[in-house]
Amino acid sequence: MKNAVQNFGIMFPLLLIAQVLISNYFNFSPYAMLSILPAMILCLPVSMNTIWVMAIAFASGLAVDFLAEGLLGLNTLALVPVALSQKTVIRVIMGEDLLTRQENFSFKKNGAAKISYALVIVQAIFFMIYIFADGAGVRPMWFNMARFAGAMACTFPLSLVTVNILSSSNN
Amino acid sequence: MSRKGNILYYITIAAIFIIMEVAALGMLKHNGPLQDTWLSKGIHGFMSAVWGGTESISGYFHLRTANRELSEENEMLIRQLRKYEYMYGAISGTDSLTAYCVGNYMYIPATITKVSKSNQHNYLIINKGSSDGIKAHSGIVGRNGVIGIVDAVSAHYSYARAFTNSDMVVSTRIGRDGAVGALRWNGRDSRGAILSEIPQHIAVSQGDTVYTSGYSAIFPPDIPIGTIEKWKTINGATYEMDIRMFTDFSKIRYVTVTANLDKEELKNLEKR
Repeated sequence: MKNAVQNFGIMFPLLLIAQVLISNYFNFSPYAMLSILPAMILCLPVSMNTIWVMAIAFASGLAVDFLAEGLLGLNTLALVPVALSQKTVIRVIMGEDLLTRQENFSFKKNGAAKISYALVIVQAIFFMIYIFADGAGVRPMWFNMARFAGAMACTFPLSLVTVNILSSSNN
Repeated sequence: MSRKGNILYYITIAAIFIIMEVAALGMLKHNGPLQDTWLSKGIHGFMSAVWGGTESISGYFHLRTANRELSEENEMLIRQLRKYEYMYGAISGTDSLTAYCVGNYMYIPATITKVSKSNQHNYLIINKGSSDGIKAHSGIVGRNGVIGIVDAVSAHYSYARAFTNSDMVVSTRIGRDGAVGALRWNGRDSRGAILSEIPQHIAVSQGDTVYTSGYSAIFPPDIPIGTIEKWKTINGATYEMDIRMFTDFSKIRYVTVTANLDKEELKNLEKR
């Protein structure tokens, strides 16, 4: 258990650095946004209090905003609602038992399909807020929709890998 | 966790969530000019909606007071309307009503028994005389303006110069507080009049209403008479205006005699 916490404690900051690098060096197109932050927040231990989850999300978003080229507050704004909805998403997709037993989810225990559903939901929350706030009401709807679809598609494989890394370090 | 503890926990989560989001929005507003404009617009929209909402709620709770005030105002207006209806003999369309006082004027409803319409010195006879309280030099008004001035009185009838008499001049005012001038019949048609002695610097518009000025002590002030149709300059100093009268002198029947109750007092004052 102690090892798991240590592993998670190491992997999470490493992935955060990876996200900073992605944000800084992987800007191919405005339609191909990459963000593993929602997946990282989803993988935070179930036993963790929602207030702490939100605090970590706030700090992580702020760190990426600060260290990557972008608007300060944008990732933070989009990531805190993901943290707020983390337990609800897990409850709805994985079932109440997981929360009652305070067990963390994994591909092995819960299956790829359930994790994919959960990832789609948290990614959708994150990108909707991110793209809406980034556009600031000046970009056309079709552009925002295309960007949202592109971001969802590009990020999903990367999020699966993130969940795999974090869930294995968590268990 | 107890139910109360649960509620407190959720309230705390909600409060922290709101604080974090507001902080994030604050940072975003501070760092992105586009976001700044967008958020300011949103905040203003929200504030106006909130203010509008609170105003509506406040208005709802003041409805009882507003209703009472409206009811009082309504009652007052009805009273005034009745007075005016009474004044112009409009309640029954006849002069069967008794005399009525408003301010320093007495109003006596009457019916025209004879009227001349075909020459330059038109006159009319009404069915009320000295026994009804009518005196010479009283005014006669109709529903839509000035009708004439009483010249002679018998016990039951009064002889009056009609406004459609080339000798008759009425002191009038443009609007309720505009320039004062002399109004007389144009001598041609039953609804035409001429307003003269209006200084040229006075701004006038077509359609402006002309009222009695109240300076003559014969007619009460602010009785609408007609509207301005066109005007021309006379001797380069004053305007002469064509007025379309509200009263059609070919159709009048019921009138009201107006008697200034302070007339004698005013006369004595002028003599001094």
